[in-house]
Amino acid sequence: MTHSRFARTAGWLALPCLVAAGLLAWYVTRDPASPFEAEQAARFDPALVSRGEYVARLSDCVACHSLPGGKPFAGGLEMATPLGAIHATNVTPDRDTGIGHYSLADFDRAVRHGVAPGGRRLYPAMPYPSYAKLSDDDVRALYAFFMKGVQPAQQANLASDIPWPLNMRWPIALWNGLFAANTPYAAKPDQDAQWNRGAYIVQGPGHCGSCHTPRGLAFNEKALDESGKPFLAGALLDGWYAPSLRADHNTGLGRWSEAEIVQFLKTGRNRHAVVYGSMTEAFNNSTQFMSDDDLAAIGRYLKSLPGDPQRDGTPWQYQAESVAAKLDNPGAHTYVTRCASCHGLDGKGQAEWMPPLAGATSALAKESASAINITLNGSQRIVAAGLPDAYRMPAFREQLSDREIAEVLSFVRGAWGNHGGAVGAQAVGTLRGHTDPASSSPIVLHMR
Amino acid sequence: MELRINQKTYEVEADADTPLLWVIRDDLGLTGTKYGCGLAQCGACSVLVDGSVVRACVTPVAGVVGREVTTIEAIEADSVGKRVVAAWVEHQVAQCGYCQSGQVMAATALLKHTPNPSDAQIDAAMVNLCRCGTYNAIHAAVHDLAAQQEGA
Repeated sequence: MTHSRFARTAGWLALPCLVAAGLLAWYVTRDPASPFEAEQAARFDPALVSRGEYVARLSDCVACHSLPGGKPFAGGLEMATPLGAIHATNVTPDRDTGIGHYSLADFDRAVRHGVAPGGRRLYPAMPYPSYAKLSDDDVRALYAFFMKGVQPAQQANLASDIPWPLNMRWPIALWNGLFAANTPYAAKPDQDAQWNRGAYIVQGPGHCGSCHTPRGLAFNEKALDESGKPFLAGALLDGWYAPSLRADHNTGLGRWSEAEIVQFLKTGRNRHAVVYGSMTEAFNNSTQFMSDDDLAAIGRYLKSLPGDPQRDGTPWQYQAESVAAKLDNPGAHTYVTRCASCHGLDGKGQAEWMPPLAGATSALAKESASAINITLNGSQRIVAAGLPDAYRMPAFREQLSDREIAEVLSFVRGAWGNHGGAVGAQAVGTLRGHTDPASSSPIVLHMR
Repeated sequence: MELRINQKTYEVEADADTPLLWVIRDDLGLTGTKYGCGLAQCGACSVLVDGSVVRACVTPVAGVVGREVTTIEAIEADSVGKRVVAAWVEHQVAQCGYCQSGQVMAATALLKHTPNPSDAQIDAAMVNLCRCGTYNAIHAAVHDLAAQQEGA
């Protein structure tokens, strides 16, 4: 009796479980709706292709989908994840190994929803949570560019190193449901057209938040637009501290004018800073190609994001410092011999060519990763308007010990009114290991 | 743009961010200043700007407009520079000589600011690299100069 009642109960329970499992299976493998389902994408007029090329610049597709020396957009960039390495894919119109067989709707589902044909979910290393905000027009133009403006390249995609069962993709659909935007950017009626254009580029194609917004436990960006306080509030990623892009006086853009933001994104430098770290690639491949109107819109939007004095700390003020009187301090001594030629005994740098360290975000943020990383590894070549720059931060990896780097950075982060705080030799050693190309656990890239 | 170099005025055409070293060597033909590393690390390109030593390979030329640049070619026109060169000869400091114009500039700048430097101050200021290893001779020459009075 008991037995059969148990069987009956189990039977009744199994039914909803099966239904739930069925629904879940449908949800995690379904093709999201695309407004382009019925659209024939046959008309690739040159204006649309070139518009698409510009959207590809705004979106910096090349950063991950091209390798130096490789064929454009043929993929291959290795990105480390906590679970194993994954590789950016071939997005040329090659029919076998690229995306030549994608319809416009397929392309839309991949770019804005992270779903490849067949319902396979992409890893959110592809910044589709941001690209979700692309307008229909821009997606159509982007598709035209990738189909007609890019040379097909036969190059098979590399498999990921993530082992089973962690390599199952369907749970990403649940992650998407929780964390990814799924509607294009909607203009805010209480803001003007320039502000809305800036918001669109920053949140959508520019995917600035991928680096500059802190991430939560599930590696999700904590905010995707200005309605969340963490949006673009600065984040530690891949061994760099991507500074705040809000109006924070110390760690953000509080001291920058809109025109200085435009100058920085257009030329790679202004009187406050020079691009370095991962931003060098964003500049080389993307921001310098943006139109003056778009850059002005970005400046306008970013300057509308308020800072947070509590997070940011005491506002920095320049304080004169006699470095010469401090030569018994080993950090000051290293500064004079190694750094002062470019950055100046007064810490003010040289015009916009060599950045000041007095008031630099890397010397004011409590996260010291950027200061350590740039000192160990130097800066990459900045290429503006096709010309490599004349000056570069050299790598001190081979010249200075962990202790010497800690000493000089502790000096810099405490001089001229800077208050980022001391740096420990152990932190230098850790980052030295992680950024050593010969080490077994290098930081490759998590996100861009 | 107009540059003042070794008490002469030169009109040069260069981009604002061109390193001063290229202008001195390539445009003006003053090749006594040497190119070493190009990264402000070795000091072979040292020149004086308003009496302070700077590394010309990392000095955007626009930054020295309106200032007085001195290169090794004119160092003996300076009373301190003249004594430095004499001490260099006395101590036979140079070996291959490539870095020595930069070393002389560094020593001149030090003695202009600190006429009687201590040994520790000499070591702190004389940080240009020399692959021949003439460091001891350099130190001895500057040490001698430190003990002298100007005009002695």
